Amino acid sequence: MAELHQEGGGGADFDLTQFYQIFFEEAGENLDQMEQILLDLSLENADDEELNGIFRCAHSIKGGAATFGFADVAELTHHMESLLDKLRRHELTPVPQMVDVLLESADASRSLLSRHQTGEQGEAPSTADLVRRIAELASGGIPDVPTRLPSQMPDVRTSVAAPQLVAQASAQPSSERASGERRLLIQIGPLEEASSADVIKELFRDIPGLGSIADGVAEDPSIRSFQVTTSASDGDLLDLFAFHVAKEQVVITTLAPDLALSTPPSGEIPYGFFPDAPGSPGTAPLPITVQAAVTDGGTLAVNKAVPSKVSEAKAGTQAHVESSTIRVAVNKVDQLINLVGELVITQAMLAQNSRDLDAAVYQQLLAGLADLDRNTRDLQESVMSIRMIPMSIVFSRFPRMLRDLANKLGKKVDLVTFGEATELDKGLVEKITDPLTHLVRNSGDHGIEMPADRLAKGKPEHGTITLSASHQGGSIVIEVKDDGRGLSREKILRKARERGMDVSDQLTDAEVWQLIFAPGFSTAEVVTDVSGRGVGLDVVKRNIAALNGSVEVDSSEGYGMRVSVRLPLTLAIMDGMSVGVGNEVYILPLSSVVESFQVNTEEVSTVAQGSRLVKVREEYMPVIAMEKIFQIPRNGSGKSSDIMVVVESDGSRIALLVDELLGQHQVVVKNLESNYRKVPNVSGATILGDGKVALILDTSSMVRRARH
Amino acid sequence: MNVNEKNNAAVPPGSREYLTFRLENEEYGIDILKVQEIRGYESPTRIAHSPEFIKGVVNLRGTIVPIVDMRIRFNCKLVKYDDFTVVIILNLRNRIVGIVVDSVSDVMEIAPDNIQSAPDIESAIDSACIFGLGSVNDRMLILLDIEKLMSNVDMGLVAAVD
Repeated sequence: MAELHQEGGGGADFDLTQFYQIFFEEAGENLDQMEQILLDLSLENADDEELNGIFRCAHSIKGGAATFGFADVAELTHHMESLLDKLRRHELTPVPQMVDVLLESADASRSLLSRHQTGEQGEAPSTADLVRRIAELASGGIPDVPTRLPSQMPDVRTSVAAPQLVAQASAQPSSERASGERRLLIQIGPLEEASSADVIKELFRDIPGLGSIADGVAEDPSIRSFQVTTSASDGDLLDLFAFHVAKEQVVITTLAPDLALSTPPSGEIPYGFFPDAPGSPGTAPLPITVQAAVTDGGTLAVNKAVPSKVSEAKAGTQAHVESSTIRVAVNKVDQLINLVGELVITQAMLAQNSRDLDAAVYQQLLAGLADLDRNTRDLQESVMSIRMIPMSIVFSRFPRMLRDLANKLGKKVDLVTFGEATELDKGLVEKITDPLTHLVRNSGDHGIEMPADRLAKGKPEHGTITLSASHQGGSIVIEVKDDGRGLSREKILRKARERGMDVSDQLTDAEVWQLIFAPGFSTAEVVTDVSGRGVGLDVVKRNIAALNGSVEVDSSEGYGMRVSVRLPLTLAIMDGMSVGVGNEVYILPLSSVVESFQVNTEEVSTVAQGSRLVKVREEYMPVIAMEKIFQIPRNGSGKSSDIMVVVESDGSRIALLVDELLGQHQVVVKNLESNYRKVPNVSGATILGDGKVALILDTSSMVRRARH
Repeated sequence: MNVNEKNNAAVPPGSREYLTFRLENEEYGIDILKVQEIRGYESPTRIAHSPEFIKGVVNLRGTIVPIVDMRIRFNCKLVKYDDFTVVIILNLRNRIVGIVVDSVSDVMEIAPDNIQSAPDIESAIDSACIFGLGSVNDRMLILLDIEKLMSNVDMGLVAAVD
């Protein structure tokens, strides 16, 4: 089925291939882990935790393999899982044969995976024998020991087995090797209603490239027989059929090219022995209780010979595909980032202390410090880049989501993405995914019109949603743009009034668009009646604000809408502006600083309750004296606050009154709450060049407090 | 090694080691296992709207650590900061807190027999935070349950005990 999926995958608009690498890595780890536990497993008193561990490994691989369409791996691991499930539920007691077969299966999975990883070159090793043995063990039996010897004990047996293998492998039907097309006899039954198997025929009709099917002759009325010409492998066929008939009821036999009509060889099928030459007419009654006995036609020896030969060949060439990445726990990376942060501070301290040294006397020391400066910065950059992952991780989920949404709504939507390679901090990527999903869904749901409406408006039938990401300065800007109906100023204002919000017609467009972010003000109510979505735009906005980001909306009615999300590149480092008040230093997030200026007393006016306002460019904004809200002592230093820093958050502005502006620098954001508690108006702390702690102001909460 | 030797010697079982420090004339003991390190006092960054005894936060090798002045908390008359002022860095329930004391005196081993329960006395702190009075060579040690004290709500430092 892998091949089929691959073909199908090429045409679909959702490309999973970029995740293959991750899957291969994870599967490899899981296999390693499984092997490790299997080897350590004590059979007499197997630990539940260990059995569960092995089960989990098999289960993860199965899940991943099924998702990515590697049906051969999925099938094998599925059988392993069934066996392991019985073990962990203590329905079976572990025996050495189980460990052997599981280890072999792990090897087979590995070589199947590496075959997929290297682009499906070469023939897939057959897992039929393994599957059979697992099934047998799972049903409580012990398979013939000799059957596993050829692959199990190569050192002793190869010399004996090899000639036999070669001879028998060549006895395999040549038609299969040559064209890939095989003629098969498929028997399904016993069925209560034999005609129910006829759906199989439809499969061949519906799936292009699967092959042809014709009715065969069956002696037993409860069994349907088909003759099939196909290039798909047995496992693929079984998987296909699995939707209609139980695997156990299907028997596939390879026919020699010239012997079209023959009953399958049978007899000792549970043991997989087919002493007859391929295609030789069998006379025994039809197999009834075959345990997923997929036979490749030739003798059992061939069945085993193929996988073991292939895997041996692989071992030399491709089984060990060099892994180019290491998976590391995030907290290790964070620790590294913290340490580098410390190093940067220490370096800054050294630089500060060495400033006044005589360059002539301390030339070497200063040169060393300059090197240290450069290396620290490079080191910091490299370490930060470890946490950076490309936006494509987020973007890649949207094509599928939009496709489903468009189908559901009967709309036609194209998705265009730009800047998938733009990198963003891992923590941010995780947190931005939900808000972005919401915005994209919003665009598809409310923005893009029905195809007929679009045509009527002279727009192309397909709506386009554009997702783009780019770096702008120290931040990343992610845009969600659609060419749909856009926002309606009138409707939003009307809705706002209905909700009792105080709005005037004089509001600028930008201010009107911000209204859609008000709590409970969903665009569903504004534009359409479609609702039932989890979060409103207010949550989107709040989530983005919590990441120190901002959202801007631009829209033109009838032409579409654009939402820009601006985020800092990382949460761990922030561009800050340090301001001095009294003897204390505070850090303002640079992203929220609009401007600063020296203020004259006459520009500040007082309102009745004593709160002060300042007029900046025709706008009155509240004045917050830092000295007051942070109770900063004045030790008669004679300084006074006469510099205003205008900060903006959520579209509102306030003016902070400070003594002096000290500078701009990148600061490492430290959590204040890990050892202390939340402090009002403070979002965190950082360490300055002199080793002192400075508090980082929470501008959005200050603005909220001042405005409400 | 030292500990082993002591254990083999005539030390009664169940003895624990306490770090003792002075606040004015009183001598206090806290479980040594809660102590991370002892440092000199460096002026912390003040935090607005915090109780008077929370002096602020300092940078302890990259970690932001709040500093509590025990002398203010215990209503000592004389509170001065000089080169001899000592900060004990405590590691409590994965939280790190620094306490300022007048001086650190000793590490003492006290057997349970030498600890008597504290009388219900009136003091600056909740008497539940004093788990006993230890006597060593006629000196009286006030043994503090420092974890309980620091997690007291009016300390406003550590999340309340579950």
